[in-house]
Amino acid sequence: MSLLRTEGLQKHFGGISAVDDCSIAVEPGEILGLIGPNGSGKTSLLNILSGFLAPDAGSVWLGDEAVTGMTPVQLANRGLLRMFQMTRVFTRISAVDNMLTAGLARGLSEAEAERRCETLLDELTLSQVRYLDAGALSGGQKKLLEFGMCFIAPPKIALLDEPFAAVHPVMREAMAGFIRRRHGEGQTFILVSHDMPIIVDLCPRSVCMNAGRVIAQGATRTVLESPAVIEAYLGSSVGSSAHV
Amino acid sequence: MSAAMVNAAGNLWVNRLRRDFRASLLLLALLSLAPLFVTTPYSLGILIISIYFALLALGWNLLAGFTGQFSLAPAAFAMLGAYTTALLDYHLQAPLAIGIPAAIVSCAVLGWLLGKVVLRLKGPYLSLTTLSFAEIARVVIGNSIEFTRGDQGLNVPTLFESRVGYYYLFLGVLLATLVGLYLLMKSRTGRFWLAIRDDATGAESRGIAVVRYKTLAFALSCAICGLAGSLYGTFSQLVSPELGLLMQTGLIIAMVVIGGMGTLTGPIVGALLVYLTSEWLRDFGNIQMIVFSAAVILFARFLRTGLWGLASGRYRSKAGSAKP
Repeated sequence: MSLLRTEGLQKHFGGISAVDDCSIAVEPGEILGLIGPNGSGKTSLLNILSGFLAPDAGSVWLGDEAVTGMTPVQLANRGLLRMFQMTRVFTRISAVDNMLTAGLARGLSEAEAERRCETLLDELTLSQVRYLDAGALSGGQKKLLEFGMCFIAPPKIALLDEPFAAVHPVMREAMAGFIRRRHGEGQTFILVSHDMPIIVDLCPRSVCMNAGRVIAQGATRTVLESPAVIEAYLGSSVGSSAHV
Repeated sequence: MSAAMVNAAGNLWVNRLRRDFRASLLLLALLSLAPLFVTTPYSLGILIISIYFALLALGWNLLAGFTGQFSLAPAAFAMLGAYTTALLDYHLQAPLAIGIPAAIVSCAVLGWLLGKVVLRLKGPYLSLTTLSFAEIARVVIGNSIEFTRGDQGLNVPTLFESRVGYYYLFLGVLLATLVGLYLLMKSRTGRFWLAIRDDATGAESRGIAVVRYKTLAFALSCAICGLAGSLYGTFSQLVSPELGLLMQTGLIIAMVVIGGMGTLTGPIVGALLVYLTSEWLRDFGNIQMIVFSAAVILFARFLRTGLWGLASGRYRSKAGSAKP
């Protein structure tokens, strides 16, 4: 059974169709790439999956439980956690406190949260800045901190929205390494990114959206070579000979 | 911000809070000695009213400083607390042993309801809604002459004849409030409030029940204000709609901003400083609000962590880490 699946999801903003008849499935332990040009509906889909938007129609299933329209808190309690494109750390408390707060919110005891926090800070190379207020961290460090907050109590499924955007290559590799290690332990991800080499590297399977619709899904390389995907990214005048 | 500072474990929330709490206890210990030196009833009365404002400042700080909800209704809840006690006495001859707890409960319930109403509002919209509530409450009380005697106010029985007794009662309540807030802020509830203050969406995405914790903060904050108002009513033996004037809320805000938002010691320092200064400024005409408004502008611009932030070495003029 798929860990997460959607059936015929729809979301409209006025006359604009942000998500249109979207049906996808994520299998346990996989990293599913979610790609598409700007405005294609990726973030709207993540917003629906994480409970920040209610769909106009369609359904979302987490395992065999219908979770359509649940709040972000209800979904987080069921192990569906989300990282935002713009980092959402708690700026006026230290990096350690951010991670402890995230751990406590997931139901860990203080002692357990502290223990896991230490391990994660080391793994994410944030030990040196642990006592800095999160607002004073660099953009890349904030993203790494968000990884720590998300994984202090490993979720059933992690929704990562553009984690590599505007990040130094060294940090990007640190994040990719973190995702690979967690994937090796069986963690399931949906990864939204415009960084195609990373998508190819991390995601065996991908879904491409355009104008709210799923235009291709399957093996990542096959998706990237699909004429519909090439046209969505480069426009119809480029023709089928172009490659993404 | 120095490297030594950023590497210090003192920046951990529990350590910051513990340092802050110890300083506030020291301040209260010093205040407990005041009746040894302040012997005139008038001066003692001023100190009692300062502590009344310290309670209101702590209550408002719980909402604005710790949870990021900028309410403009703390004085209105003090008025509602005072009227709950006064009306129970006036209409039902209920003793203060019932009237004071009833003030706490009624303000907590009203605060919880107001919290529900403003749940999805932020910034100026939240402030304007609470301001509207405060003004409606004040006008309704002022115009319900049959029930509240309107602007004439209501007499309230006193708890003690002795001002020293009142002084220690207010100080004891301030201590109990402080200890309660310390324990709350140390617990996961306090951490969740800080998370909501910094980023409500981020907090929600981590699984923090933002709705529940915001309304809890509203209810507790309003309960503290209601308790303060109720005690103030028994001290002054008269409650009137003037207790809920917006200017009173302005004073409370000035106290917290000048003392240090999001701390335990700051609101108490601010309340003492602002109220004692306002008494001193009476000799120079009605210029208190001009002085305090100018001070708030200067503190908001140049010293956002307030006097307690400056004293505790956490003053950062530019780092985004210490914005109030």
